[in-house]
Amino acid sequence: MLQGDFQLPKRNKRTVLVLGLLGVVGLVGLAATVAVGAFVLSAWLGLPLNAFGLNDGPDQPIAFPHTVHVQDMGMDCTFCHRAVTTEAAASVPAVGLCMSCHKVIGDGLPEIEKLRGYHESGRAIDWVRVHRVPDHVHFVHESHVRFFSERDNVPASETCQLCHQDVGSMPKVEQVRSLKMGDCLDCHRENEAPTDCTACHY
Amino acid sequence: MDLTRRKFLTLLGGSTAGAVLFQACGVPEAELLVEAPLEMPEDMVTGLDTWYATLCSECGNPEGIVVRVMEGRAKKVEGNVDYPINQGKHSARCEAALQGLYHPDRISAPLLRVGARGEGRWEEISWTDAIARMAHQLGQVQDKSSIVLATNPVGGHLGKVVERFASRMGIAHMPYETLDETNLRLSMERTYGLKAMPDFDIGGASYLLSFGADFLSTWGSPVRYARAYGQFRQGDRERGTHVHVEPRLSTTAANADEWVFVNPGWEGHVALAIANVIVERGLGDSSAAAALTGNGAVDLGRYAPERVADRSGVSAERIRRIADEFAGHPPALAIGGGSAGAHSNGLANLNAIYALNHLVGSAGKPGGVIPNPGPPFSDVPEAPARTSYADWRGLTGRMSRGEVSALLVRGANPVYGMPKVTGFEDALLGGRFNVPLIVSFASFMDDTTALADLVLPENHGLEDWGSDVPDPGPGYQAVGIRQPVVRPFFEGRGVHLGARSFADALMGIAQTMEVDLGLEGESFEDVLQAGARELFETGRGSVRANDFRAFWNGALQRGGWWDTTAAYSGPSLSPRQIASAPGEPSLGSGAFALVPYPSIGITDGRGAHLPWLQATQDPITTASWQTWVEINAKRAEEMDVREGDVIRLTASNGRSIEALAYPHPGISPDVVAVPMGQGHTGGGQYDKDRGANVMSLLDSLEDSETGALAWAATRVNIAKTGGWMRVPRFENTAPDLATDEDQHIIKLTAEDS
Amino acid sequence: MAGEKWGMVIDVDKCIGCQACVVACQAENNIPINTEDLYNQRRAVQWIRIERYWEGEFPDVKARFIPVLCQHCSDAPCEPVCPVFATYHNPEGLNVQVYNRCIGTRFCANNCPYHVRFFNFWEPSWPESLKNQLNPDVTVRSRGIMEKCTFCIQRIRRSTRDAKAEGRGVEDGARELNPACVNACPTDTLFFGDLNDPDSKVARMSAEETGEHGRGYHMLEELGTEPNVLYLKKVDKNAKEASHA
Repeated sequence: MLQGDFQLPKRNKRTVLVLGLLGVVGLVGLAATVAVGAFVLSAWLGLPLNAFGLNDGPDQPIAFPHTVHVQDMGMDCTFCHRAVTTEAAASVPAVGLCMSCHKVIGDGLPEIEKLRGYHESGRAIDWVRVHRVPDHVHFVHESHVRFFSERDNVPASETCQLCHQDVGSMPKVEQVRSLKMGDCLDCHRENEAPTDCTACHY
Repeated sequence: MDLTRRKFLTLLGGSTAGAVLFQACGVPEAELLVEAPLEMPEDMVTGLDTWYATLCSECGNPEGIVVRVMEGRAKKVEGNVDYPINQGKHSARCEAALQGLYHPDRISAPLLRVGARGEGRWEEISWTDAIARMAHQLGQVQDKSSIVLATNPVGGHLGKVVERFASRMGIAHMPYETLDETNLRLSMERTYGLKAMPDFDIGGASYLLSFGADFLSTWGSPVRYARAYGQFRQGDRERGTHVHVEPRLSTTAANADEWVFVNPGWEGHVALAIANVIVERGLGDSSAAAALTGNGAVDLGRYAPERVADRSGVSAERIRRIADEFAGHPPALAIGGGSAGAHSNGLANLNAIYALNHLVGSAGKPGGVIPNPGPPFSDVPEAPARTSYADWRGLTGRMSRGEVSALLVRGANPVYGMPKVTGFEDALLGGRFNVPLIVSFASFMDDTTALADLVLPENHGLEDWGSDVPDPGPGYQAVGIRQPVVRPFFEGRGVHLGARSFADALMGIAQTMEVDLGLEGESFEDVLQAGARELFETGRGSVRANDFRAFWNGALQRGGWWDTTAAYSGPSLSPRQIASAPGEPSLGSGAFALVPYPSIGITDGRGAHLPWLQATQDPITTASWQTWVEINAKRAEEMDVREGDVIRLTASNGRSIEALAYPHPGISPDVVAVPMGQGHTGGGQYDKDRGANVMSLLDSLEDSETGALAWAATRVNIAKTGGWMRVPRFENTAPDLATDEDQHIIKLTAEDS
Repeated sequence: MAGEKWGMVIDVDKCIGCQACVVACQAENNIPINTEDLYNQRRAVQWIRIERYWEGEFPDVKARFIPVLCQHCSDAPCEPVCPVFATYHNPEGLNVQVYNRCIGTRFCANNCPYHVRFFNFWEPSWPESLKNQLNPDVTVRSRGIMEKCTFCIQRIRRSTRDAKAEGRGVEDGARELNPACVNACPTDTLFFGDLNDPDSKVARMSAEETGEHGRGYHMLEELGTEPNVLYLKKVDKNAKEASHA
C-alpha cells in the first residue's frame, strides 16, 4: 500500500450493522413523513383523493336514487330543492313532499317502504350531508344560481352542475369539487365576483 | 374533533401524528345531518327568516314587537314600527324575552310538591291530574271568598278572563305590584278625573319638569317616553329644557339639563312652592289658580319658597327660577311618580306635581297631558284593577288567622316584594299551614313559586295569545294583539305535560268545576277573536276588511289595531281644588335616607332570571349581577368605605341586608341608593341567592290616605362588615381612553346647531 | 358592491344610556353571556358599550353617556399590526375581522385607542336550550379569536342580496340594513348608512354638522385615525364650549 493512499478506517461488523440500521430507519422515516405530509397537504388543499376511496359519497338512511328521479322521470332540481332559488340553503324536501307521489308509487320496494315508515311514525329523516363548505363561510345558493342562470341564460336547474356535477347520473351522491377557498376564489376571479374576505366570511 | 384551521395548526404544532389524526377524524357526524322534517311549514325553510308581529311580555306596558323566526325558532326581537306605543323601538327587556323562551330553568310540566313546603322537591304530574287536584281542593272550600287569586295587573282580554274567573267562582282577585302604583292612579283621578293613565307629550313640550319618575329607564312606558325624549332633544323644534327633581341621580336625572336634589318626601312641597311663585307672580292661568286653591281655601302661602327651602333642600332662589322658567316656556309639562309618590304623603305629592300642569294650561293640550279614550271593547276595563299595600297587609292578617284557604299566584311575587317586617311569608306558611293550598302559575321558580304546593307552567308570551289595551295609551284608541310566533317549546313533551296558556288553564279549571264563565268559545283564542270581531264591526281604524277573517289576519300582521282619530272625548280636564296638601313625610330613622330603585334590566326582580338582563349594566354605576349601595364618594372616604366593601344596611325595624359599596360623586352624602331585583330566595341558576333584596328591609310605612307602600321612606344605618367582593362592572373593562387636555370623549357645546 | 362606505352618526345629545343597543347587539351577534366572572376578570364583551363620565361633584354633578363602538377607522391603528392580515379595511369602508385568519396575537387590541376589540379568552358557551336563539347568520367565535363590531355585516349582506334579487337598490335607513343597535335605540341616537351616497341621512348629517357651526366631531380626532363614526356634541346650555374626558 502506497503512502498517502486513502485508507478505510477499520470497522468491526457491529458498527456497520448499527449504521446500516440507522440508515434504513432514517429512510423509512423520511418516506413516511413525506407520505403523511403529502396526504395531509393534499387533503388540506382539497385535492381529490379518489385513489383512497375517500371521496365516495356517504351511505344515506334511504338509498335515494337521483338517477331515477332526474334521468328517468326528468324532474327539475328545484322541484325538490325548493329554496335554492330564493334562500341561502338549497333545502331538502319534507317527507310530505316525497309522499305526494310515493303514497301510490313504488309499492313493495324496500326503500319506499322505509320512506313510508318514516312518514307513518312521524320521524324526520336525518340525511347525511355530502357537500360542505369549510367553517366560517356563508355560502348563499340564491345569488349563485341567479348569477349563473342570468349569465348563461339558462333555467336555474341547469346551473347546479357547475359545482355539483351531474348529480342526476350519480347512484350515490358524492362531492366532486373541493369547495375549498381556492376553488371558490378561482371562480370568483373568473367571474369578477367580489373577492373581499367579508363577501363570505362574517 | 372539529375541522378548523386553528385546531389543525394547534395539532400540527404538537405532532405530525396529531395532524394525521385530525384528517382521520374529520367532521363529527352529528354536524353532517340534514333533517328532512315530515311537513315543511313556510317558516321552517332553512335560511328563510320571517318576522311576526306580537307583544312583548317582559314590560309592564307591553310594547309592540316583531320577532324574527327561522326554522321554527325565535331569533331576534325588534320593535314594531307600526305599533303606536313604541313605533319601532324597544328596550333591553324586550330583547331578553328570547332568553325567557329558551331558558334552561323553564318549568316544562306541572309540578306537585313532594317534600316540605319550600324544600324544592317536586314531582311532575299531568295537566289533567293537576287541574283535577286543584278543582277538588277548591271545590271543598265552603267560603269561596277565602280563595285569593293574586296576579300582576292584567289588562286586555286576559284581564277579562281573570275577572270573569274570579267573579263567577266567587273568589277574591288581588292584583299585586311590587312597586305600588295606587297613588299615581288615584292622583290621575283626583287631578284630572281620569281612570286610565294619560299620555305625556314629552316630544311636544318645551319645558319638562319631572319629579321622582325615572321615565327614561323603568317608569311608566319608558320606550315611548324615550322616543319622545329624542324628539324633545333634537327634533324639529327648539331643544327642550328638562329639570328633574329627585333624591337620587337616576338615569333620568343624569339626562336632565338640571338635576335638583330634594330631600326624600318633600317633592310635593317643592311643587307647591313652584305653584305658589307662579300664582303670586300671576304667571299662570289665574282661573286655574283659583280653582286649584278653591278660591283661596288652600293657602299656598304655607308653601312659599322660603318656607319650603330648608326642609326640602332646594333653595328658594332656585325654586323661583324654576317656576319662572316653567311658566315662561309653554308648552311646559310636569310629571311625577316613582319615589316622589312612595311616601306617607305620596298621593299629596303627586297631586301637587300634576296640578302644575293646570297652572300652565298643559292639561289636555299638545305638549302636555293628553288623556286617553276608553278601550274600544265593551267588556274590557279601562285600566287593570289594582290593590294597595294596605290590602296586602290586610291579607297578611287574614292569612295568619287562617282565614285564607287558598292562594293562587300568577305574575306576582309577594313573598319577594312584601317587606319582611310585615311577616307575610310567615303568615303564608305558618307552623299550622295557615294557607292550606298555594298554587303558582309560573314559567320559572321564584320566591313565591318555590313555596307552592302545585306549580302550573305557563306558556311564554311568544307562544301565547293575548291582547293589550296600552296603559298609558298613545292618546287615541289602540289595541295590541299577541299571537304565538313559535310553537310551544315544550310541545315535544306531549299534551299532558308542557306549558299552557294561563287563560286556558283558568278556563280548564272552571270547566272541571262546572262553573260557567260565560265567555265566547272554548279557548282563549276564541275569546280574543270575539274581541277582535268587536273591532272589526266598528269599521274604522288601521285595519279594515270586508270580512272578519281578512280583518283578523290583518290585525295579526300589523300587531294590533288603532284608530288615530278616536281621541278622548270625555269631560275636559278642568282644574279641581287640591284635595289634600302634602304634610310632612313620616320617615324611618337612621343616618341615611334609603332610595331603592328598580334596575334598568331586571327592574323590580321580574327579569332576574334572564342572563342578558342580569348582565345589563346599570347606567350610573355600570355595575351588574350583584346588589350594590350607591354612596357618596367623599362620605365613603370619611367612613373608610371603598368600592366592593360589604356593608350592612340596617333599618330601624331591625331588618338588614348586606351589599357592596359603590362610592361615586353623584349622590348626596345623606342618601344611599340600592337597586331592586336581586336577593331571590327561590329561583334558578341566574337569580337564586344572588345579591340582596332591598325590599325586604323596608319599614312598613304607607300612604296615610291610600295605603300605598311608602317604599322610599325608609332610613338606614350602615356599617362595614369587613368583607370585600369585586363589584362586577363594565367600567374600566376597557382602560380609560387615552386623553389629555385636548382630547375629549364627550364634547360639549352651548349652542344647538 | 362598489362605492359604498358605511358609516354612522351618533348624536350624543340624545343618548340616555338605556343599554337597549348593548343587549340588541348581544342578541344579534351571538355574543356569549357576560357572566359575573367575566366582568370581574375584565373580559366582558360588548361590541357597543355605553360609557359614563362624571363631571363635578354633588350637588353640581353631571353623569354623561356616550355609546362607543368600533369606529371603523379609515386609517385604523389595528390593521397594520396584524401579522396575518386578519384585520384589514375592506372596499366598503368596513374595518373587518376575518375570524379564520386570526391567530390571537391581540396586537390589534393593544393598538386600538378606542378599546373596542375583544378577545375570546374562553370557548363561548351557552346552556343547551339557549342555543336555539343563536343567529345562524353570524359565526360563533371560538377561543383565541379577536372580535369586534362589524356594523352587522350579515344584515348588510342579506339586505343587499334581497335588494339585488328584487332588482332594486338598498333603501337608506331600511330596518333590514340597519345594525341591531340602530334599530333598537329608543331615542334615535344612532344613524347608519352609506357615506358615499350624498342623499343618505348620514351623509347629509355629516355635511351639515362638520362645518364650523355644526356639532360633529370624531372621537380622539387628534390621533388621525379618520373614523367613519361621527359624533355630534352634547348640548349643555350652561357649558361654555367646555368638554370633558
